[in-house]
Amino acid sequence: MNVVSRRSLLRGLLGAAMLSPFAGLLRTAAADGAGGPAKRILFFYFPDGVPDPGGAAGKWFPQGSDTNVTLSENLAPLARFAKDTLFLRGLSMGATDAGSHPGGAKKLLTAVDGGGGESIDRWLARNVGSASPVSHLYLGAMAAQNNASGDKFISYPSAGTTVAPEDDPRAAFARLFGSATPTPGASSGPDPDDTSVLDTAFADLESMRRRAGDVEKAKLDLHLEALRDVEKRVKGLGAVPTASCQNPRIDTAGITSQTLNEAATFPQILRAQSDLMVQAMACGLTRVGVLQCSQHTSELIMSRFAGTPLYRPSFDMRSHQASHYGDPGDSKFADYTAQRTWFVAQAAYVLEQLAARPEGSGTMLDHSLVVICSEVSDGNTHSHDNMPFVVCGKGGGAVRTGRILDAGGRRHGELWVSLARAMGANLGSFGSGGGPLPGVLV
Amino acid sequence: MRVLVFFGLLGLVAASQAACNDKPGRTTAADTTRGQALYKDLCASCHGAKGEGGVAPVLRDWTRGEETLTRIIDERMPQGAPEKCDGDCPPSIARYILDTFKGEVVCESPKPLARGLRLLSRRELEATVSDILAGTTAAPAPAAPCGTVSFVYDPKGRAVTRVHVAGSFNGWPGTIAGGGYPLTRAGNVFALAQPLPNGSHSYKLVLDERDWIPDPDNPRRGPDGFGGENSLVDVSCPASGTAPPEKGDDVVASAFVSYPKEARPEAYHFDQHGPSRVTSAPLAEAVFRIAATVSQAADVPKMLACGANVDEACTKSFVTRVGKRVFRRPLEADEQKRYEALALGGADRTKGARLALRAMLTSPAFLYRTELGEKKGDTFVLTRWEVASAMSYGVTGSMPDDALMGAAERGDLATREGREREARRLLGTPRARKHLGEFAEQWLGADKVAEVEKQSALFPDDSPALRAAMREETRRFFTHVVFDGSHRTAELFRANYTFVDATLAKHYGMAAPKTPFEKQAYPDRARAGLLGHASVLATTAHSDQSSPIRRGLFVRRNLLCQELPPPPPNVGGVPKIDPNATTRERFAQHTANASCASCHRHIDPVGFGFERFDAMGRLRDSENGKPIDAKGDMTDVEGLGKGTSAPFADLASLGETLAESRAAEACVAKQLYRFTRGVLEGDACVTRPYETRFRDRGGDVRELLVDLVSSEDFTVRQ
Repeated sequence: MNVVSRRSLLRGLLGAAMLSPFAGLLRTAAADGAGGPAKRILFFYFPDGVPDPGGAAGKWFPQGSDTNVTLSENLAPLARFAKDTLFLRGLSMGATDAGSHPGGAKKLLTAVDGGGGESIDRWLARNVGSASPVSHLYLGAMAAQNNASGDKFISYPSAGTTVAPEDDPRAAFARLFGSATPTPGASSGPDPDDTSVLDTAFADLESMRRRAGDVEKAKLDLHLEALRDVEKRVKGLGAVPTASCQNPRIDTAGITSQTLNEAATFPQILRAQSDLMVQAMACGLTRVGVLQCSQHTSELIMSRFAGTPLYRPSFDMRSHQASHYGDPGDSKFADYTAQRTWFVAQAAYVLEQLAARPEGSGTMLDHSLVVICSEVSDGNTHSHDNMPFVVCGKGGGAVRTGRILDAGGRRHGELWVSLARAMGANLGSFGSGGGPLPGVLV
Repeated sequence: MRVLVFFGLLGLVAASQAACNDKPGRTTAADTTRGQALYKDLCASCHGAKGEGGVAPVLRDWTRGEETLTRIIDERMPQGAPEKCDGDCPPSIARYILDTFKGEVVCESPKPLARGLRLLSRRELEATVSDILAGTTAAPAPAAPCGTVSFVYDPKGRAVTRVHVAGSFNGWPGTIAGGGYPLTRAGNVFALAQPLPNGSHSYKLVLDERDWIPDPDNPRRGPDGFGGENSLVDVSCPASGTAPPEKGDDVVASAFVSYPKEARPEAYHFDQHGPSRVTSAPLAEAVFRIAATVSQAADVPKMLACGANVDEACTKSFVTRVGKRVFRRPLEADEQKRYEALALGGADRTKGARLALRAMLTSPAFLYRTELGEKKGDTFVLTRWEVASAMSYGVTGSMPDDALMGAAERGDLATREGREREARRLLGTPRARKHLGEFAEQWLGADKVAEVEKQSALFPDDSPALRAAMREETRRFFTHVVFDGSHRTAELFRANYTFVDATLAKHYGMAAPKTPFEKQAYPDRARAGLLGHASVLATTAHSDQSSPIRRGLFVRRNLLCQELPPPPPNVGGVPKIDPNATTRERFAQHTANASCASCHRHIDPVGFGFERFDAMGRLRDSENGKPIDAKGDMTDVEGLGKGTSAPFADLASLGETLAESRAAEACVAKQLYRFTRGVLEGDACVTRPYETRFRDRGGDVRELLVDLVSSEDFTVRQ
């Protein structure tokens, strides 16, 4: 039996020198398929939209057209990656629930009104990522805080259902990379007890399915998928470190069960989760990830982020509060703009990490897609039109980057079709939209 | 159509449950066809297809005249988007309502809930695992046993790295290694919650194992015999409260540390065990590890009960007995075979039995409660075992105990009387008390006080211990009213007493109680029942200021079950803090602006009643140098749209209005329905029979819960 050493988790720095419980399934990225290194996709979500009151006052959308791109204030942190980025405008999520944060969060990745469908990340996990040890990795930073209700979560395993992301990087690290001090002999093959326990669970699940008939098929399917991820971990054999996967570690200094819910720690939590996500992808553990910053209508007090331009210890400015700036002349508009720029800078950090890992003839970023998104467009009006989508990374050369693409009011589900195709999946249409979105793919 | 959005969600989680039918034989006038279509489109989702009400007011038997109705529709409906109904739309709808919605709605018996599987919630799973480890019947310790004393030390800038408690109870040790109870750092302070035995104790705090000081937070002192002072604390718990934690509870609690957080359905206040809860890879992984850890800690030889000779028959009997407990029903033949194979698979049968236990605790048959039933006519009737589980989780939040399984076996649960008898018995168990305490803190949102952020500069006494005490106060108070007090909801709103420890007493400006969390009178009329609880006041405030809006909405939504639509986009948000104004003055724009006022006239005047309490629930008489005005108006207490007014001068009189309210009483029935069923009710007809019986039977909350788990519809699915 593998027992995670709590003691090792108390140390500031979590590390695992290729002792992952998934060690057997860590693989060289190049080994994945004949078409070059494996492609990964990451959805980077931040809450409460962007400052886009219309006209010249907007701070999100870049100026220019096609390859003539002038970055906006919010997107300035992406400057280094502008050639690797597709800037989208004119994408719509449709009229249903327009004006609503939860309505937007439900449509964002499902492209179905009211969250009435599986989300694209889950679809990709089933269709592209199922061979990976972890078919889907959903990490959050204070996303499940304050007894968050299900509509706060953007990832839908099946129509109408959400699960909370993993908000504690220490626990997520332990699950993915195990403890730094493995049980002696643990790497010598699967524990026969672990295997028997899982085999019994699979058999009981089959009996249950027979007795339930058609009832709750989706629920039992999800249970089966979840058990398979456990099985893949348990049955792992032999480690294969790769160039982009060396000594996985995250910095958990300052992160305790108490500070996990304190705004001042948010930047550290997000940094740890970003590092964890990138390394899980670099090490071949997963190809499909979602990073969720906070939750829609966010109470996150961003003015408590010490060492950032947002820091104002004397006054509490929350994300959602700033998004209702009223008038672009209001001081809240400046707060809101600075907050969005900060979120984009955190996405840029993920890009830097991907770009720093050599892979094939380039870097991991060349084979990845990072989608930056939020549940509404302008935060003051909660618009569901002209949504702020940005796609970074070339996806193995599948995506036409370094450009602005105006979708002219087409539905965002079409973008998901294009990106699924960029990932190598054969997807005709998704959600309530058609697809693919013209101009995205090479 | 924002209002429709909200109700659409209710439908999503509640499944379609019930239908309300008009009296038969009614015909629709031809000229109301357009009105009917518009009503269906714009109004029915909130007001009900027959005007019976739902999240919005009842429209039947309208008495305020056609002109008023037309004007209200024109100016304010649909709520938040009145521009969607202009021109001939308002008069057409008004005509339709007046022509059609007459007389009482006759509710058909509610349609049964859907068949399905319920994935145990975290609390249910944890309680169940504890009960299985306990080996016999459910008798676990309460979450914070009586006699737990909170020690908090604030160094106030002094450089201190270690603090421990030394006293008469642990032999005055000078070091932590020597047996001192260490406080752990929690933010700016050091804190410890330590159970102490009954008796009078004296103690000191020891800083860095060098400086001995009396507890600065505890005003009770006595001479120490060396010219200084000791702090004093008395513990006296009734016998039932001093039960030590069950063996294994620590193991269970630590095994659950990495259990992932859970989502609750939108607009649903409670832990989710309903239809939309599904498993995920992190959850499956956590369960896999929990099962491994707790089966390792289990007293398997005792569960085997074979003595020295663990023979084959005895091992098979273990599988039969333990399997029945874990799966809450006898094992099916294929399951029995699988688990016997595990238990008998190796040379060491105790080890085999342990492995079988571990596999059972990992099995979906353990993790899901089935509510599939057996087909009978058009519906499905739950099996005796499914009824036992549904009742047990409904009343105690854990697995059926041996007595309930026995009753199921005998067929006692097939009749309403049999179920009532068992439900009343279960209500007497400690688990039921704990479960209802958890109901209270989820219903009131008090559990969120553990996580809400506050400005530490404004609230220097904030600490994890204080927040824990706030939650405990609310749980204790509610269970006291239900089990030991009048058993009636009115007491929740008008009680002149509460339950605090020394930390919370200080926060409230009350004298410290002799015993932590003993019943204690409020010193004055400033606080009233649960309306004065800091858990409620702090969670319905911002980090740095009170919030009349959140507090008003708390009364509407949580206490009266009245829903208001979310605010439209393009609103200004929270007004800026103005050092020269009170919160009340800053929020005056809501009622000055006509479009805001359509909703806020029902919110702010209620929330203003809480203005004597700051964002942490501390009492205040002035804000920014101006006196607090806590007058308000509890409009439309029995239902939005009734047009009633109940002005109040202070929180106690607001509490009195709620204590007298039928809607507040009925809302407790709705909330307990949601809590036990794991879903929101589809419409007003679903919970009406329970509300009616609750009232008719004298309003005893215990009997309401009995009714909820013994009624006929409880055992039927479709």
